[in-house]
Amino acid sequence: MQAEGHPSACVSKRPLPVEFVATVAILTCTYALLAAGIVILYKAGRVVNFAHGELAIVGGYVFYSSGLMAGGSLWFAILGAVVFSVVMGGFIYATMMRRVVGEPFYVAILITVGIAIVLKSAIIVIWRAEQVTINIGVAPAVRLAGGATLSYMDLASIIMTITFFIALYFFFTFTRLGVQFRGTAENPLLASQRGVNVNLVLSLAWIIAVLAATLSGVFYGGRAFLSTESVTIGLAGLTAALVGGLDSLRGAVAGAFVVALAQYLTVRLIDPVLSEALPFLILLVVMSIRPWGLFGTVEELDRV
Amino acid sequence: MARAGTNLRTSYLESNEVMRRPYQKLLVGLILAAALVLPFGSSDYFLHLINLSFLACVGALGLMILTGFCGQISLGHAAFLAIGGFTTVILTVHLTMPFIVVVPAAAASGAVVGFVVGLPSLRFRGVYLAISTLAMHYAIIFLCTAYQAKFGSSATAGITIADPVLGPFRLGGEFAWYFFLLVLLTFVTAGCVNLVRTRPGRAWMAIRDRDIAAEALGINLTRYKLSAFMLSATLASVSGSLAAYYSHVVTVEAYTLDLAVIYVAMIIVGGMGSILGGLMGAIFITLLPYGIDSLFEYLPRAWRFGSTVFGVQVGAVGICIILFLLFEPKGLAEIWRRTETYFDRWPFRYRPLDTTRR
Amino acid sequence: MKKQIFCRGVTAAAIIACFAGFSAAQAQETYKIGYITDLSGPLAGSYTPTWEGFELYIKALNDRGGINGKKVDIVLDDDGLKADRAVAAAKKQTERDQVLGIFGLSLSSTQGAVYAEMRKAGVPVVTTFSGIGDALPPAQPFSYSTGVVFEVAGDAIGELIQKIKKGGKVVGMTFDSVGGRAGIAFNQKSVEKAGGTWDQVLFPVTTTDFTPFAQEVAAKKPDIVVGHYGSGQNLGVIPALRRSGYNGPYVVASYGVTEDTVRQAAERAGSGENIYYVTRYSSSFDNNPSVAEVAAAQKKYGTSKPFSSMHVTGWALGKLAEAALKGCGWPCTREQLDKTIQSLKVDIGGLSGGPIEMSATDHYGPSYWRMYIWDAKANKLEPQSDWLKKGSQGYK
Repeated sequence: MQAEGHPSACVSKRPLPVEFVATVAILTCTYALLAAGIVILYKAGRVVNFAHGELAIVGGYVFYSSGLMAGGSLWFAILGAVVFSVVMGGFIYATMMRRVVGEPFYVAILITVGIAIVLKSAIIVIWRAEQVTINIGVAPAVRLAGGATLSYMDLASIIMTITFFIALYFFFTFTRLGVQFRGTAENPLLASQRGVNVNLVLSLAWIIAVLAATLSGVFYGGRAFLSTESVTIGLAGLTAALVGGLDSLRGAVAGAFVVALAQYLTVRLIDPVLSEALPFLILLVVMSIRPWGLFGTVEELDRV
Repeated sequence: MARAGTNLRTSYLESNEVMRRPYQKLLVGLILAAALVLPFGSSDYFLHLINLSFLACVGALGLMILTGFCGQISLGHAAFLAIGGFTTVILTVHLTMPFIVVVPAAAASGAVVGFVVGLPSLRFRGVYLAISTLAMHYAIIFLCTAYQAKFGSSATAGITIADPVLGPFRLGGEFAWYFFLLVLLTFVTAGCVNLVRTRPGRAWMAIRDRDIAAEALGINLTRYKLSAFMLSATLASVSGSLAAYYSHVVTVEAYTLDLAVIYVAMIIVGGMGSILGGLMGAIFITLLPYGIDSLFEYLPRAWRFGSTVFGVQVGAVGICIILFLLFEPKGLAEIWRRTETYFDRWPFRYRPLDTTRR
Repeated sequence: MKKQIFCRGVTAAAIIACFAGFSAAQAQETYKIGYITDLSGPLAGSYTPTWEGFELYIKALNDRGGINGKKVDIVLDDDGLKADRAVAAAKKQTERDQVLGIFGLSLSSTQGAVYAEMRKAGVPVVTTFSGIGDALPPAQPFSYSTGVVFEVAGDAIGELIQKIKKGGKVVGMTFDSVGGRAGIAFNQKSVEKAGGTWDQVLFPVTTTDFTPFAQEVAAKKPDIVVGHYGSGQNLGVIPALRRSGYNGPYVVASYGVTEDTVRQAAERAGSGENIYYVTRYSSSFDNNPSVAEVAAAQKKYGTSKPFSSMHVTGWALGKLAEAALKGCGWPCTREQLDKTIQSLKVDIGGLSGGPIEMSATDHYGPSYWRMYIWDAKANKLEPQSDWLKKGSQGYK
């Protein structure tokens, strides 16, 4: 891939350990949040959400605009992002997903594809396709060996991701609503017959998923930038979810780690240009060997 | 031999008929006549759009058979188009082969790639199949990008191709292309209609509806799934090859995942499981952005620019997908059928129940 | 029932309206030219200000009375960075709107297709912003450029950056595209000719998270880093480089990078030190009457994007358009316009280091390049070098 007759730039010095750990950790957090959202939606409604990347980026844009409208206030931005998640998640479920409950699986998936397109066009129409960066907490906080730095935003993303997963764990294990959620995931018909408000549970699933996506989008906007191109992180998140197992939250983290690690190593040690196609290579490999993912329930593959 | 009413079929021969009633034959005849006359009164620009639609139709028919009739979800259609385009490039630039050899060669390479991409379908279904076709898409695009980086001249970003020459005729200009594509499309459509009303079509539909049952009935899943993929890829490859000749430039940047989604939108909007739907969907989705452009011309100039027009064009496809899936899942073809029923059955509203009708 | 009929009626009316629009035609006594660019796709942030600069010039021209009393009418179309839409727009403009020539264009992948189609139709096309080699001698007929041609830019940058550190180790970054590779290929040549060493890092076109790539670059311990890409990438790369510990000189190769982007990137990186900027057209901060003219027009007519060197680029193209149409006379035909452009020498004053010159075989002409440095305290670009003149021979 290099220009002709050119000294090889492929293999360079090995990455420094601290830098390596930090970057992979941050990347894992981004993908883990996305994968968590996808897993929650799959468990709850058997829907694979192809619009997750777009939801993340639009959430980031909403965060940015809310902050901007309030003159740079962080709280207002957070409020805007939360409101967006609730409204968008609820809206998608109530108007679209609820209607296609009985239909073949591809209908719900294709609707999410349609949603993805509409969200992308919203970025173009509402935010004029501008590239936007989120400048909160970008000051360097920690100086690592070798001169690299971690910003407050980077640290916050790691802490918040861990907090989020812990909160999810407590929610699903100890709260009444969480238990109802697990029940609905296993058998919606039985759950509704036993008095669980399935509509509430499913809308909640969507809201949590969009919230996770927005969180991921905000951190991404802080680290890189948001644009119509950034929506490709959704596919990386989907890969992470598939590698870990579409119905396992534990798998979401594991899958995210695998994808993040592989991407980073490819860029540093092999050839940077390959990093775009890499998640799909991983996917092909995983699907040939263990299609239900690392932690997914071993099931007949036609239950999709 | 008494016929049990015009809508019920009492023999295999009857159920295989494409056009049973005189009015249907008349309608098809009229459409063909109109198609032959159309270019004589139209601007080059309009013909250009129609030609683009025809190219899309060929590709869409391929996807319709794969997804609409055989039920295999595929997100790799853009990659098949790319195969067609790049095969054309390699054969014309490096080996200087003529048009008459290149297009069949593109079809052949499409078939081979279709076979490979179809292999996961023997193991996976549904979402997992879609994901594996997606992975294949990226793999193929990666290869094409590598080729273009090496051989694409830095002068023109992409590779240029000259007008195709068919014997003494030079295929250039909207007019000539229109007739060429019209004839091609007619043959392709006729071929597809024949395929779906005979054994392969029935096998595909059986696989779509319940593939375990189909297997139990003795249908060879491997053979039919792979043949569906191969046919789809072949048609897409031919479409891509002709598109390369038509626009004279091939760039890998044109073959994005968005393009694959647009083809899926074509078959959704057209109506899955119907050849007519494939054609209608392809024409509708191809012309949609230009139609929106025209609509915007009625608005004050200030609205036209900035992001709004393009954003709306992009979003329109998504909105069409969602609206059709929610409210008209059988697509434009169903709207046509309802109209046809209304006029045919008047003053009655509905056809008698006939489950063999497609 | 009524609602159904209403919905269907509206849909039908909309569809008919769409198709009616296809055949609309206009006729007026004006010079009609076309402008096609990416107004809302991924790179709109760079192309929109270039269009606005062009539009400003034509507006000012029309207010002065036009060319010999005849106004100039621009037909604008968006290509969304897609080659097939660009070609369709070009065909529409040449057939329906009867334009004399087409200006602007966008990414390199759209240019090849439009150049090829318009060559067949005999319509001159002048690109600005960036350019592919069709315009370089021996030039293809009907294909012109006043923009930043990748090969020439790479070469010029390689020479200019010797002022930062002569003979140093230079790492070039670009995305994996034909234009990017062409740019760094020539950048490499001129760096090595000046005695320096070269290394490079390429990344996929759709990358938005540059952290691993920046770390890769930093690990090579360069003396200078050059970035051959647009606004968005610079916005991501500069902070990523600083975070990876590389605080040395970074050169923005300006393929449509606005000063505002540099400012934003500098802010995110924490410090605006050591950021250089090489461009063909003057920065908007330059203190000379030509740039002031553009700034005044921008204030008068207003633009949606903040004033930048992209507006200057578009304005320069406007000057060329005026000179070409004036030389063409009235009534002007496409062949006549094409011949006129070939004989042009347009004095653009302080907008660049010298005039735009075209000839029958050279549709690009000599170009002038300057290097600036970002002054974080004053929030502006300061010139760091004189104008470097580059011929257009020897790149093909």
